[in-house]
Amino acid sequence: MAHDPASLDKPFASLQVFDWGGDATALQEIDAAVIAAHGDATLHADLEKRLSALLGGGCTLAVKEYACRKLAAIGTAASVPALATLLPDRDHSHMARFALQQIAAPEAAAALRKAAGDLQGDLKIGMISSLAGRGDAASVPLLAALLRGESRTAVAAAEALGRIRTDEAVQALAAAADVADAHAAAAIVDARLAGAEAQLRHGRRREALATYRALADAAAHGTTASAKAARLAATRGILACLDTAAS
Amino acid sequence: MVHGSQGDDGLSTTDRSPGAGPAGTRPASGTLRASRRGFLASAGAAAVAPYVITSTALGNASTPPASDRIVMGGIGIGNMGSGDQAAFLNRSDVQYVAVCDVRQKWREDAKGRVDGKYGNADCAADVDFRELLGRADIDAVHIATPDHWHAIMTIAACRAGKDVYLQKPETLTLREGPLMVDAARRYGRVVSGGSQRVLDDYTGIVHPCWAGEIGAIRSVDISVGGPSMPCYLPALPTPPDIDWELWLGPAPWEPYNPGRCDGNYGTGGNSWRSYLDYSGGSLTDWGAHHFGGAIFATDLRELQPAKVTYHAASADGKQAAYVTVTYPNGVDLHHNRPQQLRPATPALAHGSAIQIVGDGEPRVPKPVPAYKGQGGIYGDFIECVKTRERPFRDIELAVNTMTAPHMIGIAYRLQRSLAWDAAAQRFTGDEEANRLLDRARREPWIL
Repeated sequence: MAHDPASLDKPFASLQVFDWGGDATALQEIDAAVIAAHGDATLHADLEKRLSALLGGGCTLAVKEYACRKLAAIGTAASVPALATLLPDRDHSHMARFALQQIAAPEAAAALRKAAGDLQGDLKIGMISSLAGRGDAASVPLLAALLRGESRTAVAAAEALGRIRTDEAVQALAAAADVADAHAAAAIVDARLAGAEAQLRHGRRREALATYRALADAAAHGTTASAKAARLAATRGILACLDTAAS
Repeated sequence: MVHGSQGDDGLSTTDRSPGAGPAGTRPASGTLRASRRGFLASAGAAAVAPYVITSTALGNASTPPASDRIVMGGIGIGNMGSGDQAAFLNRSDVQYVAVCDVRQKWREDAKGRVDGKYGNADCAADVDFRELLGRADIDAVHIATPDHWHAIMTIAACRAGKDVYLQKPETLTLREGPLMVDAARRYGRVVSGGSQRVLDDYTGIVHPCWAGEIGAIRSVDISVGGPSMPCYLPALPTPPDIDWELWLGPAPWEPYNPGRCDGNYGTGGNSWRSYLDYSGGSLTDWGAHHFGGAIFATDLRELQPAKVTYHAASADGKQAAYVTVTYPNGVDLHHNRPQQLRPATPALAHGSAIQIVGDGEPRVPKPVPAYKGQGGIYGDFIECVKTRERPFRDIELAVNTMTAPHMIGIAYRLQRSLAWDAAAQRFTGDEEANRLLDRARREPWIL
């Protein structure tokens, strides 16, 4: 049966004035429509357009959060501009990322990268978190440039590079091994360990072994808990490489 | 806003006093700040050491010396967490030194129990779990927060060199599990999941299965509640005795309501276990026990399902929808399959919760994995902390177990069947399902 756009008019009209504690019937109807949109391009497009339109208006926080949750499920490149406008807004940034992190379109990643460059503080870390969640290889240069900066951001950038784990990410982490900030240094070690694990899983034993040896050497004389943990992890990695070679 | 003070030993042991804001609004003070990160650098000097070598430090006939005791702290000391705390606190081979909870009453009560046990006031009481993890003297932690915190805290604990006893369900999303396993293995940590029921409650089905009495397993029926739901509870003023920003943590910001965060065991709408931002609902909450018991009994813990089949409700409404997961060895696990579709006489049953069918051809018995040490699953964890063995509910086995209810929850949400690629840890050919593998975390939290 062809989608009748009028069938969504009433629930969306109710949704516009929804707030926490209100009647959620309209939301449940829209939930059902989102499920039904699988394989129905017309319904899908109609839903997406209506949900995106809610983001720029004067709706409640509850409504915008709901719209972002639904766009996380069905959003496409068409929703990216509306979502991107919310990224600098402290009250809406996370839920905009809730959607953008899931939208496969390259425009979504581009929006997150731009915001990561423009924003500061926790919001910047949020963008980094979502780029990590996407495994966005194109963000490696941006992230690499943050490794020697503000401590919390550097930690987040290192963690993201550890999730992305491309060769470029691995090289960026290695190049920042001598970073002065202790928290960033620990995060870089963890990310390099993750990179070495990925290399070993993909049969790149020599590269993994080189990383593990470098990490073990760097932590050889450390007395902090971080240094001890790194030394243990690197040693375990070396043994894993040797086991792999022997098998 | 953080109002804390630092004690002489560098530890911040006083409460935070988050300002209460009007209902439905975010506090002007903003999101959690890492204002205690500088503290972490000095945590190595923060170990609470006795100034006098007491008899308890030396040990006696029934108590190991201090040097042989596992130093522990607890994070999330509510309903289940207080039970875990009691189990560890009452062990002579554990020295319990710190509690952490974002709720003042839980925190103070937990500290009081520890201080009462030891007859002093030494137990640290933290609001921020990173303070506790930053202590160099702590060997292990138990975690019983709502599910949305489990992965972040477990991974942070592993990086900090702590072993972890983690309440079930161990994961909130499918993406978290492999990251947790990686962290445990990378740092050589003992990480135990926390279903005390898997080995204790289901012996009536476990032993006959492992003894080969019913032959090769063909199918399992599991009856347990369904997935969690969205939360639309009304906004209420945030009370001063809960750090709401830190309670929410990586979950979306939504206004305070006691029904949103209550730790009671219900899943009908007045507890965090009801709501999808914090829990998988009864499907993963009680499901961790029933799926855990069934998957252990049928020796599927090292596998993940390959296929998820959604059976739609009948048009006349007389038959509800249900989901089947099929393992690579052909075993089917049915969630809430209608009674009329089940075998009339299953070979084995754990009440109405679990029913198992085999092919009836007796097989060679296998030894049943058991707890190590003394004291159930808690003793198993402590023993493994000492010996560095993997515990009964090792995190990898727990993660594998939890993939089944998580996949079932996704199938219910999408109302269709799915195929799972365990090597890639993704659904095959279903982008919408893969969007549900994980969710964006609220800044500044990253996983």
